[in-house]
Amino acid sequence: MASVTINNVRKSYGELEVLHGVSIDIADGEFVVLVGPSGCGKSTLLRMLAGLEDISGGEIAIGDRVVNGLQPKERDIAMVFQSYALYPHMTVEKNMGFSLKLARAPKEETRDRVAKVAAMLNLSDYLDRYPRQLSGGQRQRVAMGRAMVRNPEVFLFDEPLSNLDAKLRVQMRSEIKQNHHRLKTTTVYVTHDQIEAMTMADKIVVMHGGIVEQVGSPLDLYDNPANLFVAGFIGSPAMNVIGGKIRGGGFVGEDGTRIALPFAATDFEERNVTLGIRPEHLLLDAKGHAAEIITVEPTGAETQVLLRLAGHEIVGVFRDRILHKPGETLHVSLIPERIQLFDGKSGQRIDFREAA
Amino acid sequence: MNKLPTLKRPGLPGWLILSGSVLLVLVCLFPFWWMVLSSVKTLRELYTVPPIWWPAAPTWENYRTVLFDSNIPRYFLNSIIISVGSTGLALVLAIFASYGFARFNFKGKPLLQSFVLVGQLLPTAAIIVPLFVTLRVLNLVNTYWGLILVYMIITLPLSVWMLTSYFKNIPVELEEAAIIDGASRLECLFRITLPLSLPGLASVMVYAFVTTWNEFIFALCFATDSSVKTLPIGLAEFSTEFNTDWGAVMAASVVMTLPIAILFLSMQRLFVGGLTAGATKG
Ligand SMILES: Nc1ncnc2c1ncn2[C@@H]1O[C@H](COP(=O)(O)OP(=O)(O)OP(=O)(O)O)[C@@H](O)[C@H]1O
Ligand SMILES: [Mg+2]
Repeated sequence: MASVTINNVRKSYGELEVLHGVSIDIADGEFVVLVGPSGCGKSTLLRMLAGLEDISGGEIAIGDRVVNGLQPKERDIAMVFQSYALYPHMTVEKNMGFSLKLARAPKEETRDRVAKVAAMLNLSDYLDRYPRQLSGGQRQRVAMGRAMVRNPEVFLFDEPLSNLDAKLRVQMRSEIKQNHHRLKTTTVYVTHDQIEAMTMADKIVVMHGGIVEQVGSPLDLYDNPANLFVAGFIGSPAMNVIGGKIRGGGFVGEDGTRIALPFAATDFEERNVTLGIRPEHLLLDAKGHAAEIITVEPTGAETQVLLRLAGHEIVGVFRDRILHKPGETLHVSLIPERIQLFDGKSGQRIDFREAA
Repeated sequence: MNKLPTLKRPGLPGWLILSGSVLLVLVCLFPFWWMVLSSVKTLRELYTVPPIWWPAAPTWENYRTVLFDSNIPRYFLNSIIISVGSTGLALVLAIFASYGFARFNFKGKPLLQSFVLVGQLLPTAAIIVPLFVTLRVLNLVNTYWGLILVYMIITLPLSVWMLTSYFKNIPVELEEAAIIDGASRLECLFRITLPLSLPGLASVMVYAFVTTWNEFIFALCFATDSSVKTLPIGLAEFSTEFNTDWGAVMAASVVMTLPIAILFLSMQRLFVGGLTAGATKG
């Protein structure tokens, strides 16, 4: 096990820079999830950690060793690929023991370690099979087993679950988590699925366009997103946003709707801001704002309602059963303490509570 | 086990497809059948008009002539040495060249790659004199090495081309996984890429072997001594100015065809391919 330090790392392909100085500190034993939309550079960063891509600038250290110039095999990492990349001409046992064989470990030791990991992953019955004779979930487990057999300092995962169906994904998610609890190996896990990030991570790193937008614990990111991008990316359904201005200490939407803030934001008079509110922080309130119902989607436990409020479409999630029809009016209020304000131009969150 | 996906059969009736296939096979096999048949006919039967379809008394006389009264056994050995030598050499060089082309990016790669093919485009007549001069300077005329090198030169370009595209189709991630597992580049090549390229290697081997086995012009020019002559030259030697011993030619042809047939049959399983099934995705 080891900590990982990524310090101002850059990556360019020719003229094109795709990572613009990324810094992340990962503690020993931590489960860190890199999350972000497609093309933001997650895989590139992971592959640089693994040693499959050159580092164009900055420094990566595993433990107290700078690994910039080291070959993958000298870095003591193991990686699970999105496509699994199992060796098709080798049995499950050979696949899992390949790294030990290359390291010229004694045969019995290899067999023992493979057997132990296989038992942990429920693969003992499949050791003689070839990858083509396994289901998707089993292949996924073999890929993980291949990484675990080596007992590396750091595990790297690149979207390991994206080829599985929804149900299996949930199951494998918790299996990966359990294995992490058992082994406590430092893990860097790449995904573009924010639910995976929320449920698995000790720490989430939100990336966007080659930079880090925010680093924090899942709930920290959920409750205090640093900017509009993180606010929109973390959470499903996404946070609602309404454009407007600060006027008279409160928020005024573009169409003149007044929304009360928990504090008088007088310092920001006339500033363009974007108001953000999570769907579950809308309350049914007869004295609240009148909003037109666009759609009603009951999911059983709760009801999702798409509303038009202050000229914007916003989503509310309510524990109550809503029996209204589209076109009717629903009265809702926003929990003032849960309102976030973001700067109209930069999209950065305004910490108006402190400022006020 | 998972079968290869197959398309639905087209609407043609089965008997039509069957009879068509049978006809095609018959047409293709007829020359071989005639060769085998002629090799067991007597000289008189060979010249009978209309031709007889089944000899009254099949004879092994032609085979006796070929095996004991001619240079064919020696030529057979020469052919084997030269074909195996040049095929092996071409295969080894093609593996390394193709791996480089398939996996690395370097300056001038497209140029070099097209240059490889240019060699293939030159007509035989254009390179035969320069090659002869070169071989003479190197003292390689009438040696095994002379023909082995020449044959390697003519089979290498296409071999490199075939193998390059084969290697390119093997997912890079497999090698990346191996590198992370601690493999060196050579270990990647020998433990991952080559085992998965067996069908490609087999095609290249068969191509190179058959090409050199049947080659005539270069052999005629560069191997004039009977210690290095190859089988195609040997066949031609049965024709003299005045007559041709067709029976012996046919028997020698059968002998010459056998290794190729054996090669094809033994490699057949590999041509089916599909070795990377299960490597990636679910
Ligand atoms: N070999 C390459 N040459 C040039 N550009 C590249 C290369 N590889 C990746 N890129 C670019 O780098 C950026 C980041 O790619 P990367 O694969 O890291 O994205 P990602 O975050 O993993 O996305 P996804 O979720 O789709 O996997 C992309 O814009 C991509 O176009
Ligand atoms: Mg990716």
